[in-house]
Amino acid sequence: MAGEAISSSNPPPAKKKRSLPGTPDPEAEVIALSPKTLLATNRFLCEICGKGFQRDQNLQLHRRGHNLPWKLRQRTSKEPRKRVYVCPEKSCVHHHPSRALGDLTGIKKHFCRKHGEKKWKCDKCSKRYAVQSDCKAHSKTCGTREYRCDCGAVFSRRDSFITHRAFCDALAEETARVAASNMSRLTSICNGNFSFTSDLMRSNIANNFSGAISNTTMTEAEMVGHARRELSLWMGEGDHTENLSKRNDLLNPHQSKPLSTDDLFGNPFASRYPNQLSSIYSDELTSNALPTSRMKETENPQSLLLSVPSRSSTQHQHQHQQMAMTPDVSATALLQKAALIGLNASCATPLSCFETKSQECNFRFLSNSSLLDVNHSSLATLSGNTMDNSTLPNPLTRVYPTRHLMIQKDDEPGGETRDFLGVDAPTICASSWNGWV
Amino acid sequence: MQNTDPYHRHPSISCLLEPKDPREEEKWAAELIQECAKAIAEKDSSKIHHLLWMLNELASPYGDCDQKLASYFLEALLCRATEAGELCYTTLTSAAEKRHSFVTARRVMLKFQEVSPWTTFGHVASNGAIMEAMEGESKLHIVDISNTYCTQWPTLLEALASRGSDTPHLRLTVVAMVSMGGSVMDEIGRRMVKFARLMGVPFEFHVVSIVSTLGQLTEEELGLRKDEAVAVNCVGALRRVSVEERDAFMRMLCALRPRVVTVVEEEADFTTSRGDLVACFEQCVRFYSIFLGMLEESFSPTSNERFMLEKECSRSILGVLACNGSGVCERREKASQWCERLTEAFATTAFNDDVIGDLEALLERYREGWSLVPAKGDAAGLYLTWKAEPVVWASAWKPIKP
Repeated sequence: MAGEAISSSNPPPAKKKRSLPGTPDPEAEVIALSPKTLLATNRFLCEICGKGFQRDQNLQLHRRGHNLPWKLRQRTSKEPRKRVYVCPEKSCVHHHPSRALGDLTGIKKHFCRKHGEKKWKCDKCSKRYAVQSDCKAHSKTCGTREYRCDCGAVFSRRDSFITHRAFCDALAEETARVAASNMSRLTSICNGNFSFTSDLMRSNIANNFSGAISNTTMTEAEMVGHARRELSLWMGEGDHTENLSKRNDLLNPHQSKPLSTDDLFGNPFASRYPNQLSSIYSDELTSNALPTSRMKETENPQSLLLSVPSRSSTQHQHQHQQMAMTPDVSATALLQKAALIGLNASCATPLSCFETKSQECNFRFLSNSSLLDVNHSSLATLSGNTMDNSTLPNPLTRVYPTRHLMIQKDDEPGGETRDFLGVDAPTICASSWNGWV
Repeated sequence: MQNTDPYHRHPSISCLLEPKDPREEEKWAAELIQECAKAIAEKDSSKIHHLLWMLNELASPYGDCDQKLASYFLEALLCRATEAGELCYTTLTSAAEKRHSFVTARRVMLKFQEVSPWTTFGHVASNGAIMEAMEGESKLHIVDISNTYCTQWPTLLEALASRGSDTPHLRLTVVAMVSMGGSVMDEIGRRMVKFARLMGVPFEFHVVSIVSTLGQLTEEELGLRKDEAVAVNCVGALRRVSVEERDAFMRMLCALRPRVVTVVEEEADFTTSRGDLVACFEQCVRFYSIFLGMLEESFSPTSNERFMLEKECSRSILGVLACNGSGVCERREKASQWCERLTEAFATTAFNDDVIGDLEALLERYREGWSLVPAKGDAAGLYLTWKAEPVVWASAWKPIKP
């Protein structure tokens, strides 16, 4: 295994930690094998009978069978230096000695996977692999995995699961839940300019997407400071309310009546958006959508940057600092806390009627079709306040409009004065808008 | 039409009513339709009348394949005979638009994709070609001119998200005909945006609405930006460009300097024969009987989604056979014909082994009867075949350097 960048005078630790692949010990000997040698299966030859073996251990076992005298039993060559191997493929990142791999089997597999022909095929799904062990490993799980959508539908095929998920009404609920747990993002909405969420959501996928998406890593550092981030919401500025109304005006120039159940259940797809608005819509998205170009600095900006997967591009580098839902500080707990803060500023009674409704939510501000599916208990507890965010400095009121924005809901006509306690709430739950119609 | 006695048998068609061996019995609809088309071409009104009457008696949109074929073509024949095609088409279209909603479109499309690779074949091939062409790019712009309501893109978004290196920024511009329901597209856009967010892909969605014909699409309307890599995705799109405008349309696409143009079309020729009624009918009958047969075998017998798809068929059939080509008329061409047009400005680019593997894996997941066949001869690309008949063609193209 590639050693860490420690000097060779240190005693080897009991168990070596794996470092990042391709960061070899600078003292190691660099070996560049040709593709032919690399792919040769029987590199280890018995000097007595010439038989070839794939692994050194196998050769040694075989040599014992020759009943060699004691002296010759020793291995002829010591291992003077650690060896690292480079990939023979010139265009490859691991071709350069500074990115060599420390394990011979590793470099063989790498070469096959990246630059080799995919000779091995899965019986069940015809997926191709260059390395036989990869193929075998895949075959074990192929077809056994089930993908479950929040709406209850189950799929055996990943692609149909993904396509379903993208259009599923449960996705709106997903966004809502994500919104609730990532409230700090919202502070930036008032500050405009950013494009899109990335790693944040990606880590959410690990939680919420039952078909595991590769590359989701929730590092410790990402989780750290999440709580801090949550609280920063309450410190957020107030001019997003202005943005909210501006946004609404832009997107709903002709919407004057409150969002009625008819809107919800009737014809949600009546053309509300003249086509030129769709470009505004997309512009709005880019400028007002989720996360933030102005991430609040945490105490460990360094560690965050180091631990984040290198995947992020420069344009949303700041988004590295976004996070996953931390298991330690649950979103629900935070929201309930927020609700309590809000309670002090306004009446408490409306809350109680919603506390019991566990899965119902008056997300009227969510988009019509996706709205109806929102099941979020923690949000229900926040329903206590009217959305009169034009006047109330109450932190609670900020939750709604920004979450509103987060969902990209734009159908909310007079959103600012919407009354959450509206009678509409029960009717929402009554219908079975979950997932498929 | 002097004789209204239903049992009167016109001499030339009486042979059709003779008992035949069981195999041939099954193809009665195609024969009747063909005969009727001939009668219309010959302007033999009594024969037309009788055949139409017979078809009407036997046809049913709820029956077996032949009955359905008879039913959908009957409408086209009737319109052709009475020259009421345009009117009928308009009526059907507005009825369809009233029914049209995001929810139904989604349900039908996703169910179709679950039971048949008809559309997913083209999606997998196109996405594969796009991923390969966009390797290393950080700003992607896909111009999507398709008839599959963006069901192609979730898997591409996932592929982009798990690409390993930096996730690129994706801009998706969908070109939608107003007739396809602008509001549906808006809703789809919202979903796409949400999903892209979930995937962690920076994303922008934009709809370009075409009021007139697809051939009128201009580069300016697409709003290309300088620093982005463009891909054009045409799934069931080229056939919606009116025949005369096709070459110019392709030149326009080439002028966008895309990294790749993916073309997916259904394998049928309704273009060459467009002046010849009988030949056109023949081509249509042939294609649609395969399509309806495929639908019947793929869906469950009582499927509502299948019924919706069949209704769409009937409208399409009417458009091809009874309309004069103005407006939305889906005159399909075969792969070799498309290739001839495309090679003016583009060079074919092969699908890589991974894509082939993915396609084969895709077909494994469906019922028996489907297979992948590389195109040969005058055509490049890949065919999806149903019971050995090529039905869908997928290809990828790069602009030839000037």
